[in-house]
Amino acid sequence: MTPPKTPLSWLGGLAAILAVTIAPIVWFLPDRSPGHDPRQGMPAKLQHTDHGYLLEGPFEDGPAVTRACLGCHEDAAREVMGTSHWQWESHPVALPGRAEPVRTGKKHLINNFCVGIASNWPACTACHAGYGWTDEGFDFSDEEAVDCLVCHDTTGSYTKGPGGQPREGVDLLEVARKVGVTSRNTCGSCHFLGGGGDAVKHGDLDESLYFPAYDLDIHMGKHDFVCTDCHRTRHHLIEGRAITVSLDDANQVYCTDCHEVGLHDDDRIDAHARAVSCQACHIPFFARKEATKTHWDWSQAGEDRLEDPHSYLKIKGEFVYERGVAPEYRWYDGTADRYILGDPIVHGGVTPLNEPHGSIEDPAARIFPFKVHTARQIYDVEHGYLLQPKTYGVGGYWQDFDWDQAVRLGSEVVDLPYSGSFDFTDTEMFWPTTHMVAPADRALSCGDCHDDSGRGRMDWAALGYDGDPLHFGGRGVSATFGRGRQAKTAEVK
Amino acid sequence: MKSIPVLLLAPALGLLGGGVTAQTLHPDFELLDEEGRNVLQSGGAVSTTRSCSACHDVEFIERHSFHASVGLGAMSEPGTVPGGRPWDTSPGLFGKWNPITNRVLGPGGSRKIDLTTPDWIRLFGARHVGGGPAVTARDGTPLLELSPIAGDPETHHVDEATGDLWPWDWRASGVVEMNCFLCHLGEPDNEARKQALHDGSFRWANTATLARTGIVTRTGDDARDWSWNREMFGEGGELLAEKLGLRSPTNGNCGLCHGLVKESLLEVPVLDDCDLGQWSTATRGEIVSPQRMRDSGMNLADKLQLSRSWDVHAERLVRCVDCHFSVNNPIYRQESEQTRPEHLRFGARGLRIGQYLQRPSHELARGSMPRAGASAFRRCESCHDAGTGHEWLPYREVHFQKVDCEVCHIPRMQSGARRMYDWTALTAEGRPLVECRGFEGDPGQLETLISGFDPALLPRPDGNGGSSLAPFNLIASWYWIGGDPPRPVSQADLRWAYLEGERHAPEVVAGFDGDDDGALSEVELRLDRPEKVELIRKRLASIGIVDPRIEGTIDAYDIHHGVTTGAWATRECSTCHHGSSRLDRPMSLASYLPGGVLPGLQEDPRVTMVTGGLSVKDGELCYVPGYEGTGRYVLGLDRNRRANALGSILFLLALAGVALHSGLRWLASRKRPRTYDETPPAYFYGVYERLWHWLQALAIVILVLTGLAVHRPEWFGLIPFAYAVSIHNVVGFILLANAALAVFYHVASGQIQQYLPEPRGFFSQAIAQTAYYLRGIFRGDEHPFEKTRERKLNPLQQLTYLTVLNVLLPLQMITGLGMWGAQRWPEISATLGGMSLLGAVHTLGAWLFATFLGVHIYLTTTGPTPLAGIRAMLTGWEGNLSKAPAPDNETEEALAGHTSD
Repeated sequence: MTPPKTPLSWLGGLAAILAVTIAPIVWFLPDRSPGHDPRQGMPAKLQHTDHGYLLEGPFEDGPAVTRACLGCHEDAAREVMGTSHWQWESHPVALPGRAEPVRTGKKHLINNFCVGIASNWPACTACHAGYGWTDEGFDFSDEEAVDCLVCHDTTGSYTKGPGGQPREGVDLLEVARKVGVTSRNTCGSCHFLGGGGDAVKHGDLDESLYFPAYDLDIHMGKHDFVCTDCHRTRHHLIEGRAITVSLDDANQVYCTDCHEVGLHDDDRIDAHARAVSCQACHIPFFARKEATKTHWDWSQAGEDRLEDPHSYLKIKGEFVYERGVAPEYRWYDGTADRYILGDPIVHGGVTPLNEPHGSIEDPAARIFPFKVHTARQIYDVEHGYLLQPKTYGVGGYWQDFDWDQAVRLGSEVVDLPYSGSFDFTDTEMFWPTTHMVAPADRALSCGDCHDDSGRGRMDWAALGYDGDPLHFGGRGVSATFGRGRQAKTAEVK
Repeated sequence: MKSIPVLLLAPALGLLGGGVTAQTLHPDFELLDEEGRNVLQSGGAVSTTRSCSACHDVEFIERHSFHASVGLGAMSEPGTVPGGRPWDTSPGLFGKWNPITNRVLGPGGSRKIDLTTPDWIRLFGARHVGGGPAVTARDGTPLLELSPIAGDPETHHVDEATGDLWPWDWRASGVVEMNCFLCHLGEPDNEARKQALHDGSFRWANTATLARTGIVTRTGDDARDWSWNREMFGEGGELLAEKLGLRSPTNGNCGLCHGLVKESLLEVPVLDDCDLGQWSTATRGEIVSPQRMRDSGMNLADKLQLSRSWDVHAERLVRCVDCHFSVNNPIYRQESEQTRPEHLRFGARGLRIGQYLQRPSHELARGSMPRAGASAFRRCESCHDAGTGHEWLPYREVHFQKVDCEVCHIPRMQSGARRMYDWTALTAEGRPLVECRGFEGDPGQLETLISGFDPALLPRPDGNGGSSLAPFNLIASWYWIGGDPPRPVSQADLRWAYLEGERHAPEVVAGFDGDDDGALSEVELRLDRPEKVELIRKRLASIGIVDPRIEGTIDAYDIHHGVTTGAWATRECSTCHHGSSRLDRPMSLASYLPGGVLPGLQEDPRVTMVTGGLSVKDGELCYVPGYEGTGRYVLGLDRNRRANALGSILFLLALAGVALHSGLRWLASRKRPRTYDETPPAYFYGVYERLWHWLQALAIVILVLTGLAVHRPEWFGLIPFAYAVSIHNVVGFILLANAALAVFYHVASGQIQQYLPEPRGFFSQAIAQTAYYLRGIFRGDEHPFEKTRERKLNPLQQLTYLTVLNVLLPLQMITGLGMWGAQRWPEISATLGGMSLLGAVHTLGAWLFATFLGVHIYLTTTGPTPLAGIRAMLTGWEGNLSKAPAPDNETEEALAGHTSD
């Protein structure tokens, strides 16, 4: 026997020993790994190309810029034109109790704020992602009328006026050369100002979200999200919708897109997910920073009173604004009913314009928080339906303060008979509360809803419960009658 | 009391405007006075006994209520109360002396009676529900039937100024019947009740409790000026139940006497100068509220981070009475194991609801000490299954056995509490000097920062001979005692010693006034100089108190409320498993020593304090927990000093020997360079032998390193404690498996022969080898024994390896397994001597291993070349390999320091 040629053969043995030792150590180490990371649900972001040297100009108007964009981004306009940001209408949606599917969207529907865009186009379409929608004749197939800049501006200097045209003084070349990805500013310039001003329409979207404190919105404040981190966008189709204009739940954004369902370190809380939406607990109040409009009484308009944009305007009537409001809670399956022009109103009561679908019987429904906006708005006494007034422009109410003339002009445009006799009736709209999520440690606590003294947030009877489900059992699982686990009853359905 | 601004979240106001809807199922009933007449007709005070006994068995209720009797039924001769002081006469509020209040219930045995029954009601009635001693004399006679007998504490009251007894007219004052309203009313008026008690208007105390319901209205300044409001009653004179709102007690009701308790998320708890009316808050810092601490009205340190609730049970809608339930409430019925037949999982025959409503026991289940006769004992584990949710916790069973849930789940009191009562001095208002913990500044000011405090963790006897750690607040108190037998000096005598009317006596001012401003501040009042003590002692002696002297005690108050969820509970191992462990943290008690007297540790069945000690540093008195002799062995904290001393001496001696030996070898080699024989290379160590050896070597090194991290985490804790423990355990098992396989190999291959010394000539050979190491090696002598494949080990090696592999290694294995197995087989560990013995032996074994390693590695260098031994153990080949084409040859030679001369 002779010594080995290479004395390094023992390294193999060393490797074996290390393997035998390290493998079990690693296997048995206490598990201290962090759990699921919700950031995995966020879209990856691409570095944006600097367009500064790509665009020559000068651009005489918006469509000229669009032409330049389409020179490279050939499909972009066509993609945008397939979305509701352009069309302002939906595919036909089947609604219970109606023979025909209905077309919804801003183009067709009325609300209980400024009522409807028909006959008022130039004012409303300042927020349309296009140029020149000032009347019924707008060409929805004109690619050059697509407004790229409203979403891709990074300068903050791009603003739109009546009909969606860039306002006087906007430097189109400068804006075009500095295009980039969308931002809180581009989305917010329309969505934070819904209803014509900051925080008017949505209780959960307002200009405080440009620079939110960490506890105003945990996603945007603490984690520095932008809108499209949740509203993921593919080929210009942006996820998300609200039942104020869209009645189905296609293309919706859900908390569970990123967050695990059973993520609470507590079985009792996780069990709530069977009946309660995430938003119900995690958005304890809406309009936490800026007051939002909760009531609008059109019938008081036209008087020469002291004006204040938060309480009275001659052209619009009386308002109520509220801040830090606890939402109303309804069963909600993600879809809603809709008042369509011509539908009868509820006489002597409140006409809901977009009542959420869902009930305690519906296993898909969850208890969801809503901002409820009530209004008194104009209707046709004889026909018993709501009317579309012309408010903006020549002959509109805001110029002449003549209701009869305003609804006559409006009715002609929407092709609905007007009897000549009008009055005002109560309506309500449901605005889903889903933004401005509070930090987890500010979420609702048990006692906020389950309160024996009757001061809790939930109206159990209205929701269809026999009483506080803590005592009487929730849906699906009845309270444990009897003793021990074996007495737990089976699911109801 | 200060006026406190009500802080409410603005948004919440809009939402929850509506008032409390008092739902009650209670039927309308007549309110009767003590003569049985409807109060509407008589205009008298309501008698709860008369009114409620129309349906409920009030006598039964009162008989089954410690809240009412507070010790009346268990009164005994002074000095016979278990765990009590020599002057205690009962285990309850009526008869048990407390150094915080420092009042002895008469007769008491002191020079003058300190407290009579009427005085007791006026003083302690605020925390007593009525009934018991407020209705019945100690011999069972109704108080209303007593006639004054001279000197009798039941029919007199004490004149505060003089201490003289004056007759008390029970028929005029009336008695305090058990006050159903206090606990069962939605909005009881506790202030009005307390005022009536303080005024001596006992009969009207229960009526006053109704003040906020609108059923009665105060009509004048006299305590008896109440009138019934007709509109709250029905046409038949019955009280409309919905006006009263009777219901099962809510947390708010309990909080009236027990502490700072808030029912609703919207009520903000505010700590008010650790007021004794909030007893458990003052003595323990307990606050029970569903609200998040951050939203509280208090100036808490790090408030914004405190998003936990004050008490998770309150937050999760568990009411006080859900744990402290009536013991015969059928909802909570659980048949005892003694009476339940084996074939029955559940005995359906329980008390019917109707029976319960008629005779509800008012003995409530307790959480700390089970009281004799009261069976229901509710602990965390009565409801919680700690097995789930603690999967992450290593050594779960050990932790559950040794540590109460509260230790981790009440990690810190975010409130303040009392820490000291100094009754040796009196303020001009007749109050003691008091100190609090948990406040940075004056506790009486709202803006004072409340920094909170860490409870002391002390052993709580479990009643079965064992104990587990539990959190406590400690309160030190000092007071004068005197007389024969010694008794606390009565308030009247104490007042006489210090006060003249509303001011301090001139003689006291003269002796105490340090700044000569004519008034005594609290600091000046402290008995911090012998002259001051002597002055008061003389004054007390002058009124006939025999041998007045100062005594001090430390009382422990067990903390059970203010629980939090796992997210906030203590989770870091190093909190306890560390040199500066939470377990041994001293707790401050007082900033000075009144009269220079060290307080004694008060015996208390709820806590074992006697093992601890006191330390005085810069005048501050601290309690230092001590565990000498308790058998505690907490890894990372507890160490056996003797094992460490012995082990470290051996280790250092060995290192010193190695250093000396190697130095001498180096000197010798310079004088006389060694020459080497041209031995042919030989194959000594087979593949398995080498694998076995190196795996063992690696394992032992890892075990020593992680063992150090477990033993002294504050010095060697380079990796988290839990990791160190886990790695140590795993590698320990690797070592065990390796050893077992090696035994098999050595036996099966016969190689075991190598380790067995030949009996013949062993000693002479061993001596020869020793002589070589001591002498020959320096002279360059040959090894006395040639190393051959058949005989690899010299006699000293054989002896050492036999000892290491057959004694030391198994010893470490067994003690290590014992400590590891304390988790699953605590009995086996206990049989082996328990953790403290196992730990000591294991520590010593570790030192021996380290010693062996040092010597062993050094001796490998005594071969033909310094690295020959190690190389042989790596490659298997030994001999003069200088001719072999080893690439590292030159380096080795250079390192060894003898290249050619």
